[in-house]
Amino acid sequence: MKTQEFIKSGILESYLLGMTTEAEEHQVNQMILTHSDVSDYIIRFEKNIQGHFLQNAVPPPAEIRDIIQLRTNKTHIQKKGNNTYYDLPKDDTKKKDEYLDIEVNDTYIKVHKWWRPAFVAVFILSKIFLIAGLYYYFKASNQEEEIQKLRTEIAAPRR
Amino acid sequence: MNELERANDNSGNQSAIRTSSPLTTLEVYDQYGAMAYGIILQIIPQPHLAQEILVNVFSSPLLQSCNSYPFTFAVCVIKLARAKAVEAKRQMMAIAPLNDSNYSASESTPEFIFDLAFRQGFSPDEVAEKLKISKPEVLKAFHEFFKSPNA
Repeated sequence: MKTQEFIKSGILESYLLGMTTEAEEHQVNQMILTHSDVSDYIIRFEKNIQGHFLQNAVPPPAEIRDIIQLRTNKTHIQKKGNNTYYDLPKDDTKKKDEYLDIEVNDTYIKVHKWWRPAFVAVFILSKIFLIAGLYYYFKASNQEEEIQKLRTEIAAPRR
Repeated sequence: MNELERANDNSGNQSAIRTSSPLTTLEVYDQYGAMAYGIILQIIPQPHLAQEILVNVFSSPLLQSCNSYPFTFAVCVIKLARAKAVEAKRQMMAIAPLNDSNYSASESTPEFIFDLAFRQGFSPDEVAEKLKISKPEVLKAFHEFFKSPNA
């Protein structure tokens, strides 16, 4: 296939927009490597396609940036020519970057699940002590009254 | 200058490729976020869903694969935004499928073919089948679409 025919076939546009099959991708890659006209066309088309989609750009709400910042905090993307998806850094810095520094401003705390029965036991015990305390208080005051009554009864015949 | 331009550059200064300043996700977002959001809105017009997809695009580990992509970040972001939006659209269609419309060959203008393939998420083979035209005609329509002044 002649280079110009190949360019006019539209396969390059399809390739750059991610709509090609594996076989077509392979064919395009071969053409890029062997024909400078094809690679020149792709460079021009990249600008064209970018311009086309920039015309239809819509500014997203400002909160979206914050959400993305939270999700990808400290993750750097370095555009390296020879870096593949599988060659991403695997050292400690990457592991460190996997954790997000998030400032938590809510008023909730997390405790161990055993605190729940402990709180229930404390609650029940406090009720038992309260009831027992009231019971003994009223019992003591009744006894006090009884003693007072008996004292007055004992004291009355003496007169 | 992208990889192809660098490759075509006869200066042979390969070290320039390796010492390019690192781009954070936010820098990529600041540069191409509006473009990606525009693309997603073209495919999924619901702003809330589109915003969710936009977040997925820029927090996706696939964005890092743009490092190994031989072309510009812009083209990589366009592909990624479209792929995520089309994936979400397919999931929505699986829940609530639309009636399969009948198309005629007379409708097969480059704009309409591009709309079916890029915004509706049909593969070139599917578009060819729907419009009862050949796949090379579909691909040629993409070329014509970007050549046309209103593209």
